Amino acid sequence: MFDETIARRVRPLAEAFRDAALVRLTVREDDFELEFRRAGALGSTAPATADTESLAVVPASGAVPEVLTSDVVGVVRFMRPPATEGQRLEGDRDLAFVETLGIRNPVRFRGSGTLAAVFVTDGQPVEYGQPLFAIER
Amino acid sequence: MFRKVLIANRGEIALRINRAAHELGVQTVAIFSEADRQSQHVRFADEAYCVGPGPVMRSYLNIPNIISAALISGADAIHPGYGFLAENARFAEIARDHGLVFIGPAPAVISAMGDKATARRLMAEAGVPTTPGSDIVASVDEARTTAEAIGYPVLLKATAGGGGKGMRAVYEPGELETAFATAQAEAEASFKDGRMYVEKLIIQPRHIEVQVLGDEHGNVVHLGERDCSIQKPSHQKLIEEAPAPVLPEGVRDRLHATAIAACRAVNYTNAGTLEFLVSGEQVYFMEMNTRIQVEHPVTEMVYGVDLVKEQIRIAAGEALGVTQAELHPSGHAIEVRVNAEDPEHNFAPAAGTLGRVEFPGGPGVRVDTHVYGGATIPPYYDSMIAKIIAHGATREAAIARMERALSETRIEGVKTTIDFCRDVLRDPAFRAAGVGVEWLKTDFMPSRHVALPV
Repeated sequence: MFDETIARRVRPLAEAFRDAALVRLTVREDDFELEFRRAGALGSTAPATADTESLAVVPASGAVPEVLTSDVVGVVRFMRPPATEGQRLEGDRDLAFVETLGIRNPVRFRGSGTLAAVFVTDGQPVEYGQPLFAIER
Repeated sequence: MFRKVLIANRGEIALRINRAAHELGVQTVAIFSEADRQSQHVRFADEAYCVGPGPVMRSYLNIPNIISAALISGADAIHPGYGFLAENARFAEIARDHGLVFIGPAPAVISAMGDKATARRLMAEAGVPTTPGSDIVASVDEARTTAEAIGYPVLLKATAGGGGKGMRAVYEPGELETAFATAQAEAEASFKDGRMYVEKLIIQPRHIEVQVLGDEHGNVVHLGERDCSIQKPSHQKLIEEAPAPVLPEGVRDRLHATAIAACRAVNYTNAGTLEFLVSGEQVYFMEMNTRIQVEHPVTEMVYGVDLVKEQIRIAAGEALGVTQAELHPSGHAIEVRVNAEDPEHNFAPAAGTLGRVEFPGGPGVRVDTHVYGGATIPPYYDSMIAKIIAHGATREAAIARMERALSETRIEGVKTTIDFCRDVLRDPAFRAAGVGVEWLKTDFMPSRHVALPV
Protein backbone atom coordinates (compact mmCIF):
# COMPACT_ATOMS: atom_id res chain seq x y z
CA MET A 1 0.00 0.00 0.00
CA PHE A 2 2.74 2.42 0.97
CA ASP A 3 4.75 1.47 -2.11
CA GLU A 4 1.75 2.21 -4.30
CA THR A 5 1.31 5.59 -2.63
CA ILE A 6 4.95 6.37 -3.33
CA ALA A 7 4.65 5.37 -6.96
CA ARG A 8 1.35 7.02 -7.71
CA ARG A 9 1.28 10.12 -5.53
CA VAL A 10 4.70 10.91 -4.15
CA ARG A 11 6.89 10.36 -7.19
CA PRO A 12 5.15 12.91 -9.45
CA LEU A 13 5.36 15.46 -6.63
CA ALA A 14 8.98 14.60 -6.03
CA GLU A 15 9.81 15.07 -9.70
CA ALA A 16 7.98 18.39 -9.79
CA PHE A 17 9.88 19.49 -6.69
CA ARG A 18 13.20 18.39 -8.14
CA ASP A 19 12.65 20.48 -11.27
CA ALA A 20 11.37 23.57 -9.50
CA ALA A 21 13.57 26.19 -7.84
CA LEU A 22 12.21 25.36 -4.39
CA VAL A 23 14.01 24.51 -1.20
CA ARG A 24 11.09 23.10 0.73
CA LEU A 25 7.62 21.97 -0.29
CA THR A 26 4.91 20.77 2.10
CA VAL A 27 1.92 18.82 0.80
CA ARG A 28 -1.08 18.09 3.04
CA GLU A 29 -3.91 15.83 1.94
CA ASP A 30 -6.72 14.10 3.87
CA ASP A 31 -4.80 10.97 4.73
CA PHE A 32 -1.17 12.01 4.54
CA GLU A 33 1.25 14.86 4.82
CA LEU A 34 4.74 15.08 3.46
CA GLU A 35 7.46 17.61 3.05
CA PHE A 36 10.28 17.80 0.51
CA ARG A 37 13.55 19.52 1.23
CA ARG A 38 16.73 19.84 -0.78
CA ALA A 39 19.04 17.25 0.73
CA GLY A 40 21.57 18.92 2.98
CA ALA A 41 19.96 22.28 2.37
CA LEU A 42 18.37 22.67 5.78
CA GLY A 43 20.53 20.41 7.90
CA SER A 44 17.88 17.69 8.02
CA THR A 45 18.66 14.67 10.16
CA ALA A 46 15.49 12.73 9.43
CA PRO A 47 15.99 9.44 7.59
CA ALA A 48 15.09 9.53 3.94
CA THR A 49 12.21 7.30 2.95
CA ALA A 50 11.98 8.00 -0.78
CA ASP A 51 15.06 9.23 -2.56
CA THR A 52 14.85 10.77 -5.98
CA GLU A 53 18.17 12.35 -6.82
CA SER A 54 18.84 15.27 -4.55
CA LEU A 55 15.80 15.27 -2.31
CA ALA A 56 14.45 13.45 0.69
CA VAL A 57 11.01 13.00 2.20
CA VAL A 58 11.02 14.01 5.86
CA PRO A 59 8.35 14.58 8.47
CA ALA A 60 6.71 17.98 8.31
CA SER A 61 7.93 20.52 10.81
CA GLY A 62 8.39 24.21 11.53
CA ALA A 63 8.00 27.35 9.47
CA VAL A 64 9.06 27.59 5.85
CA PRO A 65 12.34 29.50 5.67
CA GLU A 66 12.89 32.53 3.54
CA VAL A 67 15.38 31.98 0.76
CA LEU A 68 17.72 34.63 -0.65
CA THR A 69 18.45 33.94 -4.30
CA SER A 70 20.82 35.44 -6.85
CA ASP A 71 19.37 38.12 -9.14
CA VAL A 72 22.24 37.81 -11.60
CA VAL A 73 24.64 35.32 -13.18
CA GLY A 74 28.09 35.61 -11.66
CA VAL A 75 30.47 34.52 -8.93
CA VAL A 76 29.37 34.64 -5.28
CA ARG A 77 31.80 36.18 -2.76
CA PHE A 78 31.13 36.02 0.99
CA MET A 79 31.59 39.10 3.17
CA ARG A 80 34.33 38.85 5.83
CA PRO A 81 33.93 37.27 8.26
CA PRO A 82 31.48 34.92 6.50
CA ALA A 83 28.16 34.24 8.24
CA THR A 84 27.79 30.60 9.28
CA GLU A 85 24.82 28.25 9.55
CA GLY A 86 22.96 28.65 12.85
CA GLN A 87 24.24 32.18 13.33
CA ARG A 88 21.77 34.73 14.76
CA LEU A 89 21.46 37.80 12.49
CA GLU A 90 20.25 41.16 13.79
CA GLY A 91 19.82 44.25 11.59
CA ASP A 92 20.40 44.81 7.89
CA ARG A 93 23.67 43.53 6.50
CA ASP A 94 25.19 42.17 3.27
CA LEU A 95 25.89 38.44 3.51
CA ALA A 96 27.68 38.31 0.18
CA PHE A 97 27.81 39.86 -3.25
CA VAL A 98 27.54 38.29 -6.67
CA GLU A 99 30.12 39.67 -9.05
CA THR A 100 28.98 40.13 -12.66
CA LEU A 101 31.34 41.71 -15.20
CA GLY A 102 33.16 43.52 -12.40
CA ILE A 103 29.98 44.83 -10.76
CA ARG A 104 29.24 43.77 -7.17
CA ASN A 105 25.56 42.95 -6.66
CA PRO A 106 24.93 42.78 -2.89
CA VAL A 107 22.94 39.94 -1.29
CA ARG A 108 21.22 41.78 1.55
CA PHE A 109 19.70 40.38 4.72
CA ARG A 110 17.07 42.55 6.40
CA GLY A 111 15.47 42.37 9.85
CA SER A 112 16.36 39.61 12.29
CA GLY A 113 16.52 35.84 12.10
CA THR A 114 18.75 32.82 12.04
CA LEU A 115 20.89 31.78 9.09
CA ALA A 116 19.39 28.31 8.57
CA ALA A 117 21.43 27.27 5.56
CA VAL A 118 24.22 28.35 3.23
CA PHE A 119 23.73 26.71 -0.16
CA VAL A 120 26.88 27.93 -1.92
CA THR A 121 30.59 28.11 -1.31
CA ASP A 122 32.73 31.23 -1.55
CA GLY A 123 33.83 31.80 -5.17
CA GLN A 124 31.18 29.54 -6.67
CA PRO A 125 29.57 30.49 -10.03
CA VAL A 126 25.82 30.97 -9.62
CA GLU A 127 22.92 31.40 -12.05
CA TYR A 128 19.83 33.61 -11.93
CA GLY A 129 17.42 32.48 -9.22
CA GLN A 130 19.92 30.17 -7.52
CA PRO A 131 19.29 29.82 -3.75
CA LEU A 132 22.17 31.32 -1.73
CA PHE A 133 20.99 31.49 1.90
CA ALA A 134 17.96 30.35 3.93
CA ILE A 135 16.72 32.43 6.85
CA GLU A 136 14.46 31.22 9.69
CA ARG A 137 12.54 34.14 11.14
CA MET B 1 38.84 25.51 -33.20
CA PHE B 2 36.92 26.65 -30.14
CA ARG B 3 36.78 24.48 -27.03
CA LYS B 4 33.40 25.67 -25.81
CA VAL B 5 30.61 27.81 -27.35
CA LEU B 6 27.81 29.56 -25.50
CA ILE B 7 24.52 29.53 -27.42
CA ALA B 8 22.68 32.79 -26.71
CA ASN B 9 19.27 31.63 -27.88
CA ARG B 10 16.43 29.18 -27.26
CA GLY B 11 14.14 26.84 -29.19
CA GLU B 12 14.94 25.02 -32.40
CA ILE B 13 17.86 27.27 -33.41
CA ALA B 14 19.61 26.70 -30.07
CA LEU B 15 19.31 22.95 -30.68
CA ARG B 16 20.48 23.37 -34.27
CA ILE B 17 23.63 25.19 -33.10
CA ASN B 18 24.15 22.64 -30.31
CA ARG B 19 24.16 19.85 -32.92
CA ALA B 20 26.63 21.64 -35.21
CA ALA B 21 28.98 22.36 -32.29
CA HIS B 22 28.89 18.77 -31.02
CA GLU B 23 29.59 17.44 -34.50
CA LEU B 24 32.67 19.69 -34.58
CA GLY B 25 33.77 18.35 -31.19
CA VAL B 26 32.99 21.65 -29.47
CA GLN B 27 31.35 21.70 -26.02
CA THR B 28 28.19 23.77 -25.57
CA VAL B 29 26.74 26.06 -22.92
CA ALA B 30 23.00 26.76 -23.00
CA ILE B 31 21.27 29.74 -21.45
CA PHE B 32 17.61 29.63 -20.50
CA SER B 33 14.84 31.61 -18.85
CA GLU B 34 12.82 30.28 -15.92
CA ALA B 35 10.02 29.56 -18.43
CA ASP B 36 12.36 27.31 -20.48
CA ARG B 37 13.78 25.15 -17.69
CA GLN B 38 12.32 21.99 -19.30
CA SER B 39 13.34 22.93 -22.83
CA GLN B 40 15.26 20.51 -25.03
CA HIS B 41 17.99 23.04 -25.77
CA VAL B 42 18.86 22.93 -22.06
CA ARG B 43 18.82 19.14 -21.91
CA PHE B 44 21.18 18.57 -24.85
CA ALA B 45 23.79 21.18 -23.92
CA ASP B 46 26.87 20.19 -21.91
CA GLU B 47 26.02 22.82 -19.29
CA ALA B 48 23.30 25.40 -18.83
CA TYR B 49 22.70 28.63 -16.91
CA CYS B 50 19.43 30.30 -16.02
CA VAL B 51 19.83 33.97 -17.03
CA GLY B 52 16.50 35.43 -15.93
CA PRO B 53 12.73 35.15 -15.74
CA GLY B 54 10.44 34.50 -18.74
CA PRO B 55 10.18 37.99 -20.29
CA VAL B 56 12.91 38.41 -22.92
CA MET B 57 14.17 41.78 -21.68
CA ARG B 58 15.26 40.12 -18.45
CA SER B 59 16.58 36.84 -19.88
CA TYR B 60 17.42 36.33 -23.57
CA LEU B 61 18.21 40.05 -23.99
CA ASN B 62 19.99 40.35 -20.62
CA ILE B 63 23.47 41.13 -21.92
CA PRO B 64 25.33 41.24 -18.54
CA ASN B 65 23.94 37.87 -17.42
CA ILE B 66 24.62 36.23 -20.79
CA ILE B 67 28.21 37.52 -21.00
CA SER B 68 28.72 36.53 -17.35
CA ALA B 69 27.46 32.99 -18.09
CA ALA B 70 29.97 32.77 -20.95
CA LEU B 71 32.80 33.91 -18.69
CA ILE B 72 32.06 31.69 -15.70
CA SER B 73 31.58 28.64 -17.95
CA GLY B 74 34.90 29.26 -19.68
CA ALA B 75 33.34 29.55 -23.15
CA ASP B 76 35.54 31.07 -25.83
CA ALA B 77 32.81 32.06 -28.31
CA ILE B 78 29.12 33.04 -28.45
CA HIS B 79 26.70 31.98 -31.18
CA PRO B 80 23.69 34.33 -31.18
CA GLY B 81 21.37 32.33 -33.50
CA TYR B 82 18.65 34.54 -35.04
CA GLY B 83 16.44 37.16 -33.37
CA PHE B 84 17.25 38.30 -29.79
CA LEU B 85 20.84 39.66 -29.83
CA ALA B 86 21.88 38.28 -33.23
CA GLU B 87 22.01 41.70 -34.93
CA ASN B 88 22.92 43.77 -31.90
CA ALA B 89 26.28 45.37 -32.69
CA ARG B 90 26.69 46.50 -29.07
CA PHE B 91 26.39 42.92 -27.84
CA ALA B 92 28.97 41.78 -30.38
CA GLU B 93 31.30 44.55 -29.16
CA ILE B 94 30.80 43.72 -25.49
CA ALA B 95 31.50 40.06 -26.20
CA ARG B 96 34.71 40.99 -28.00
CA ASP B 97 35.77 43.32 -25.18
CA HIS B 98 35.47 40.38 -22.77
CA GLY B 99 37.70 38.18 -24.89
CA LEU B 100 34.81 36.21 -26.44
CA VAL B 101 34.50 35.59 -30.18
CA PHE B 102 31.11 36.66 -31.54
CA ILE B 103 30.08 34.16 -34.22
CA GLY B 104 28.99 36.62 -36.89
CA PRO B 105 30.35 39.56 -38.84
CA ALA B 106 32.31 42.47 -37.33
CA PRO B 107 30.26 44.82 -35.09
CA ALA B 108 30.75 47.73 -37.55
CA VAL B 109 29.24 45.65 -40.37
CA ILE B 110 26.27 44.56 -38.21
CA SER B 111 25.73 48.19 -37.31
CA ALA B 112 25.93 49.47 -40.91
CA MET B 113 23.57 46.79 -42.26
CA GLY B 114 21.18 47.10 -39.33
CA ASP B 115 20.48 50.72 -40.18
CA LYS B 116 18.46 50.40 -43.36
CA ALA B 117 19.16 53.87 -44.73
CA THR B 118 22.94 53.36 -44.25
CA ALA B 119 22.75 49.90 -45.82
CA ARG B 120 20.92 51.28 -48.89
CA ARG B 121 23.53 54.00 -49.32
CA LEU B 122 26.47 51.56 -48.98
CA MET B 123 24.86 49.18 -51.45
CA ALA B 124 24.09 51.94 -53.95
CA GLU B 125 27.76 53.01 -53.75
CA ALA B 126 28.78 49.41 -54.49
CA GLY B 127 26.62 49.43 -57.61
CA VAL B 128 23.89 47.26 -56.09
CA PRO B 129 20.45 48.29 -57.41
CA THR B 130 18.15 49.62 -54.69
CA THR B 131 14.56 50.74 -54.95
CA PRO B 132 14.27 54.43 -55.95
CA GLY B 133 13.88 56.44 -52.79
CA SER B 134 15.32 58.86 -50.29
CA ASP B 135 17.81 59.02 -47.47
CA ILE B 136 16.36 59.95 -44.06
CA VAL B 137 13.58 62.53 -44.50
CA ALA B 138 13.45 65.29 -41.90
CA SER B 139 9.71 65.94 -42.13
CA VAL B 140 6.44 64.91 -43.72
CA ASP B 141 6.94 67.71 -46.28
CA GLU B 142 10.27 66.25 -47.32
CA ALA B 143 8.60 62.84 -47.58
CA ARG B 144 5.95 64.37 -49.85
CA THR B 145 8.58 65.96 -52.11
CA THR B 146 10.35 62.59 -52.47
CA ALA B 147 7.08 60.74 -53.10
CA GLU B 148 6.19 63.17 -55.89
CA ALA B 149 9.65 62.82 -57.43
CA ILE B 150 9.63 59.00 -57.55
CA GLY B 151 5.86 58.66 -58.10
CA TYR B 152 3.15 56.94 -56.05
CA PRO B 153 2.66 54.35 -54.66
CA VAL B 154 5.46 54.67 -52.11
CA LEU B 155 6.49 52.90 -48.96
CA LEU B 156 7.29 54.85 -45.78
CA LYS B 157 9.85 52.90 -43.77
CA ALA B 158 11.54 53.33 -40.40
CA THR B 159 15.31 53.04 -40.72
CA ALA B 160 15.36 50.94 -37.52
CA GLY B 161 12.32 48.93 -38.66
CA GLY B 162 11.72 45.24 -39.04
CA GLY B 163 8.93 42.68 -39.04
CA GLY B 164 6.60 45.12 -40.82
CA LYS B 165 6.67 47.61 -37.91
CA GLY B 166 7.12 51.29 -38.75
CA MET B 167 6.17 50.64 -42.38
CA ARG B 168 3.19 51.99 -44.37
CA ALA B 169 2.22 51.77 -48.02
CA VAL B 170 0.88 55.05 -49.44
CA TYR B 171 -1.08 54.86 -52.71
CA GLU B 172 -2.31 58.46 -52.97
CA PRO B 173 -0.95 61.85 -51.85
CA GLY B 174 -3.93 62.36 -49.50
CA GLU B 175 -2.91 59.34 -47.38
CA LEU B 176 0.66 60.47 -46.83
CA GLU B 177 0.36 62.69 -43.77
CA THR B 178 -1.59 60.22 -41.59
CA ALA B 179 0.53 57.26 -42.72
CA PHE B 180 3.75 59.13 -41.94
CA ALA B 181 2.55 60.06 -38.44
CA THR B 182 1.38 56.53 -37.53
CA ALA B 183 4.45 54.78 -38.97
CA GLN B 184 6.77 57.19 -37.17
CA ALA B 185 4.90 56.79 -33.86
CA GLU B 186 5.09 53.00 -34.25
CA ALA B 187 8.84 53.19 -34.93
CA GLU B 188 9.37 55.47 -31.90
CA ALA B 189 7.47 53.03 -29.71
CA SER B 190 9.07 49.84 -31.05
CA PHE B 191 12.65 50.90 -31.74
CA LYS B 192 13.06 54.25 -29.93
CA ASP B 193 14.08 55.61 -33.34
CA GLY B 194 11.54 57.51 -35.44
CA ARG B 195 13.79 58.31 -38.41
CA MET B 196 11.95 57.54 -41.64
CA TYR B 197 12.78 57.20 -45.33
CA VAL B 198 10.71 56.85 -48.46
CA GLU B 199 11.04 54.30 -51.25
CA LYS B 200 9.09 53.28 -54.31
CA LEU B 201 6.49 50.59 -53.63
CA ILE B 202 7.10 47.71 -56.01
CA ILE B 203 3.77 46.08 -56.90
CA GLN B 204 3.48 42.31 -56.35
CA PRO B 205 7.24 41.70 -56.07
CA ARG B 206 8.70 38.33 -55.13
CA HIS B 207 10.95 38.10 -52.08
CA ILE B 208 14.13 36.38 -53.19
CA GLU B 209 17.22 36.26 -51.02
CA VAL B 210 20.78 35.08 -51.59
CA GLN B 211 22.78 33.13 -49.00
CA VAL B 212 26.43 34.11 -48.69
CA LEU B 213 29.46 32.97 -46.68
CA GLY B 214 32.64 34.96 -46.28
CA ASP B 215 35.78 34.04 -44.35
CA GLU B 216 38.55 36.14 -42.81
CA HIS B 217 40.91 35.26 -45.66
CA GLY B 218 38.99 37.19 -48.33
CA ASN B 219 36.99 34.26 -49.73
CA VAL B 220 33.31 34.90 -50.47
CA VAL B 221 30.85 32.40 -51.95
CA HIS B 222 27.11 32.37 -52.53
CA LEU B 223 24.89 29.36 -51.97
CA GLY B 224 22.17 30.27 -54.41
CA GLU B 225 18.85 31.86 -53.63
CA ARG B 226 15.67 31.16 -51.71
CA ASP B 227 12.17 32.25 -52.65
CA CYS B 228 10.34 33.44 -49.52
CA SER B 229 7.29 35.02 -51.15
CA ILE B 230 4.71 33.02 -49.20
CA GLN B 231 4.25 35.49 -46.35
CA LYS B 232 1.52 36.08 -43.81
CA PRO B 233 -0.35 39.43 -43.95
CA SER B 234 2.18 40.62 -41.31
CA HIS B 235 4.96 39.96 -43.87
CA GLN B 236 6.38 37.11 -41.80
CA LYS B 237 7.57 34.23 -43.93
CA LEU B 238 5.58 31.00 -43.83
CA ILE B 239 6.85 28.76 -46.67
CA GLU B 240 10.28 29.04 -48.29
CA GLU B 241 11.97 27.16 -51.09
CA ALA B 242 15.30 26.79 -52.86
CA PRO B 243 16.13 27.34 -55.62
CA ALA B 244 13.66 30.10 -56.63
CA PRO B 245 11.40 28.65 -59.34
CA VAL B 246 10.57 30.28 -62.69
CA LEU B 247 13.04 33.19 -62.69
CA PRO B 248 13.43 35.09 -65.97
CA GLU B 249 16.61 34.34 -67.92
CA GLY B 250 19.65 36.05 -66.42
CA VAL B 251 17.99 37.19 -63.18
CA ARG B 252 19.40 34.32 -61.12
CA ASP B 253 22.99 34.98 -62.19
CA ARG B 254 22.50 38.71 -61.65
CA LEU B 255 21.24 38.11 -58.08
CA HIS B 256 24.24 35.93 -57.27
CA ALA B 257 26.78 38.33 -58.77
CA THR B 258 25.16 41.28 -56.99
CA ALA B 259 25.29 39.48 -53.65
CA ILE B 260 28.98 38.69 -54.04
CA ALA B 261 29.77 42.30 -55.03
CA ALA B 262 27.84 43.60 -52.02
CA CYS B 263 29.77 41.34 -49.63
CA ARG B 264 33.11 42.37 -51.08
CA ALA B 265 32.14 46.04 -50.75
CA VAL B 266 31.71 45.75 -46.96
CA ASN B 267 34.36 43.01 -46.35
CA TYR B 268 31.60 40.75 -45.12
CA THR B 269 32.56 37.76 -42.97
CA ASN B 270 30.50 34.80 -41.70
CA ALA B 271 27.01 33.82 -42.94
CA GLY B 272 24.67 36.46 -44.29
CA THR B 273 21.63 36.92 -46.46
CA LEU B 274 20.87 39.65 -48.98
CA GLU B 275 17.16 40.15 -49.45
CA PHE B 276 15.89 41.38 -52.82
CA LEU B 277 12.55 42.33 -54.29
CA VAL B 278 12.21 40.89 -57.77
CA SER B 279 9.60 42.23 -60.18
CA GLY B 280 9.80 40.80 -63.68
CA GLU B 281 13.42 41.28 -64.64
CA GLN B 282 13.97 44.10 -62.15
CA VAL B 283 16.03 43.32 -59.05
CA TYR B 284 16.10 45.68 -56.03
CA PHE B 285 18.22 45.31 -52.89
CA MET B 286 16.02 45.43 -49.79
CA GLU B 287 18.21 44.62 -46.79
CA MET B 288 20.99 42.40 -45.54
CA ASN B 289 20.58 40.09 -42.55
CA THR B 290 23.89 39.60 -40.78
CA ARG B 291 23.05 36.26 -39.15
CA ILE B 292 21.80 32.73 -39.82
CA GLN B 293 18.18 32.77 -41.09
CA VAL B 294 15.24 30.65 -39.98
CA GLU B 295 14.95 29.22 -43.50
CA HIS B 296 18.63 28.24 -43.87
CA PRO B 297 17.83 24.48 -44.05
CA VAL B 298 16.40 24.66 -47.59
CA THR B 299 19.80 25.91 -48.77
CA GLU B 300 21.57 23.20 -46.77
CA MET B 301 19.39 20.49 -48.33
CA VAL B 302 20.07 21.71 -51.87
CA TYR B 303 23.81 22.44 -51.49
CA GLY B 304 24.81 19.79 -48.95
CA VAL B 305 26.63 22.39 -46.82
CA ASP B 306 26.16 22.73 -43.06
CA LEU B 307 25.85 26.53 -42.74
CA VAL B 308 26.02 26.60 -38.94
CA LYS B 309 29.23 24.54 -38.90
CA GLU B 310 30.65 26.91 -41.50
CA GLN B 311 29.73 29.86 -39.24
CA ILE B 312 31.63 28.34 -36.34
CA ARG B 313 34.62 27.39 -38.48
CA ILE B 314 34.80 30.87 -40.03
CA ALA B 315 34.62 32.55 -36.60
CA ALA B 316 37.47 30.30 -35.45
CA GLY B 317 39.59 31.80 -38.25
CA GLU B 318 39.45 28.83 -40.61
CA ALA B 319 39.18 29.26 -44.38
CA LEU B 320 35.92 28.34 -46.11
CA GLY B 321 35.54 24.59 -46.55
CA VAL B 322 34.17 25.04 -50.10
CA THR B 323 34.93 27.05 -53.22
CA GLN B 324 32.34 28.53 -55.59
CA ALA B 325 33.30 26.00 -58.25
CA GLU B 326 32.44 23.15 -55.88
CA LEU B 327 28.99 24.49 -55.05
CA HIS B 328 26.20 23.09 -57.21
CA PRO B 329 22.52 22.97 -56.26
CA SER B 330 20.92 19.56 -56.37
CA GLY B 331 17.14 19.15 -56.55
CA HIS B 332 14.61 21.33 -54.75
CA ALA B 333 13.79 21.92 -51.08
CA ILE B 334 10.74 23.43 -49.35
CA GLU B 335 10.31 24.49 -45.74
CA VAL B 336 7.01 24.86 -43.90
CA ARG B 337 6.98 26.80 -40.63
CA VAL B 338 4.80 25.11 -38.05
CA ASN B 339 3.64 27.93 -35.79
CA ALA B 340 1.42 27.68 -32.72
CA GLU B 341 -1.02 30.13 -34.31
CA ASP B 342 -4.61 30.17 -35.48
CA PRO B 343 -4.71 30.92 -39.24
CA GLU B 344 -8.49 31.36 -39.01
CA HIS B 345 -8.02 34.30 -36.64
CA ASN B 346 -5.27 36.36 -38.26
CA PHE B 347 -2.54 33.97 -37.08
CA ALA B 348 -3.08 34.85 -33.43
CA PRO B 349 -0.36 33.13 -31.38
CA ALA B 350 -1.42 30.41 -28.96
CA ALA B 351 0.42 29.43 -25.78
CA GLY B 352 -0.36 26.28 -23.86
CA THR B 353 0.61 22.69 -23.24
CA LEU B 354 0.98 20.27 -26.11
CA GLY B 355 -0.78 16.92 -26.11
CA ARG B 356 0.28 14.22 -28.55
CA VAL B 357 3.11 15.25 -30.88
CA GLU B 358 4.22 13.21 -33.90
CA PHE B 359 6.68 14.41 -36.51
CA PRO B 360 7.27 12.92 -39.98
CA GLY B 361 10.27 10.94 -41.15
CA GLY B 362 11.37 8.97 -44.17
CA PRO B 363 13.52 9.87 -47.17
CA GLY B 364 14.20 13.53 -47.88
CA VAL B 365 12.44 14.87 -44.78
CA ARG B 366 14.09 16.95 -42.07
CA VAL B 367 12.46 18.29 -38.90
CA ASP B 368 14.05 21.04 -36.81
CA THR B 369 12.11 21.46 -33.59
CA HIS B 370 12.42 21.80 -29.83
CA VAL B 371 8.94 20.62 -28.85
CA TYR B 372 7.70 17.21 -27.73
CA GLY B 373 4.51 15.67 -26.37
CA GLY B 374 3.60 17.41 -23.12
CA ALA B 375 5.91 20.38 -23.71
CA THR B 376 4.61 23.78 -22.67
CA ILE B 377 4.74 26.76 -25.02
CA PRO B 378 5.47 29.84 -22.91
CA PRO B 379 3.65 33.04 -23.88
CA TYR B 380 6.83 35.14 -24.02
CA TYR B 381 8.45 33.93 -27.22
CA ASP B 382 8.06 33.43 -30.95
CA SER B 383 5.22 31.11 -31.92
CA MET B 384 7.27 28.92 -34.28
CA ILE B 385 7.44 25.39 -32.83
CA ALA B 386 8.91 23.43 -35.73
CA LYS B 387 10.29 23.62 -39.24
CA ILE B 388 9.55 20.77 -41.63
CA ILE B 389 11.81 20.59 -44.66
CA ALA B 390 11.32 18.30 -47.67
CA HIS B 391 13.83 17.71 -50.45
CA GLY B 392 13.15 16.12 -53.85
CA ALA B 393 14.76 15.81 -57.26
CA THR B 394 12.29 18.35 -58.67
CA ARG B 395 9.96 21.02 -57.25
CA GLU B 396 6.99 18.70 -57.90
CA ALA B 397 8.70 15.86 -56.02
CA ALA B 398 9.53 18.17 -53.11
CA ILE B 399 5.92 19.40 -52.89
CA ALA B 400 4.58 15.83 -52.98
CA ARG B 401 7.04 14.84 -50.27
CA MET B 402 6.03 17.83 -48.14
CA GLU B 403 2.35 16.94 -48.47
CA ARG B 404 3.16 13.42 -47.38
CA ALA B 405 5.27 14.72 -44.45
CA LEU B 406 2.53 17.09 -43.26
CA SER B 407 -0.04 14.28 -43.44
CA GLU B 408 2.13 12.33 -40.94
CA THR B 409 2.42 15.28 -38.55
CA ARG B 410 0.18 15.51 -35.47
CA ILE B 411 0.35 18.33 -32.96
CA GLU B 412 -2.42 18.34 -30.38
CA GLY B 413 -3.14 20.98 -27.77
CA VAL B 414 -2.68 24.15 -29.82
CA LYS B 415 -3.84 25.44 -33.20
CA THR B 416 -1.09 25.30 -35.84
CA THR B 417 -0.34 26.41 -39.39
CA ILE B 418 -0.08 22.81 -40.68
CA ASP B 419 -3.47 22.48 -42.40
CA PHE B 420 -3.24 26.02 -43.75
CA CYS B 421 0.14 25.24 -45.33
CA ARG B 422 -1.19 21.96 -46.81
CA ASP B 423 -3.88 23.99 -48.56
CA VAL B 424 -1.24 26.41 -49.90
CA LEU B 425 0.74 23.47 -51.30
CA ARG B 426 -2.36 22.27 -53.19
CA ASP B 427 -3.19 25.67 -54.67
CA PRO B 428 -2.82 25.83 -58.48
CA ALA B 429 -1.14 29.27 -58.34
CA PHE B 430 1.45 28.02 -55.81
CA ARG B 431 2.02 24.93 -57.97
CA ALA B 432 2.48 27.10 -61.04
CA ALA B 433 5.12 29.03 -58.98
CA GLY B 434 6.30 32.62 -59.01
CA VAL B 435 3.58 34.29 -56.88
CA GLY B 436 4.35 37.62 -55.18
CA VAL B 437 4.62 38.53 -51.50
CA GLU B 438 1.01 39.77 -51.30
CA TRP B 439 -0.47 36.67 -52.94
CA LEU B 440 -1.26 34.83 -49.73
CA LYS B 441 -3.18 37.79 -48.31
CA THR B 442 -4.90 39.11 -51.42
CA ASP B 443 -5.58 35.93 -53.41
CA PHE B 444 -5.16 32.75 -51.42
CA MET B 445 -6.76 33.66 -48.09
CA PRO B 446 -9.96 35.17 -49.55
CA SER B 447 -10.46 32.13 -51.81
CA ARG B 448 -9.38 29.44 -49.37
CA HIS B 449 -12.83 28.43 -48.20
CA VAL B 450 -14.50 28.71 -51.60
CA ALA B 451 -13.34 25.68 -53.54
CA LEU B 452 -10.24 23.63 -52.97
CA PRO B 453 -9.23 20.60 -55.00
CA VAL B 454 -9.36 17.50 -52.83
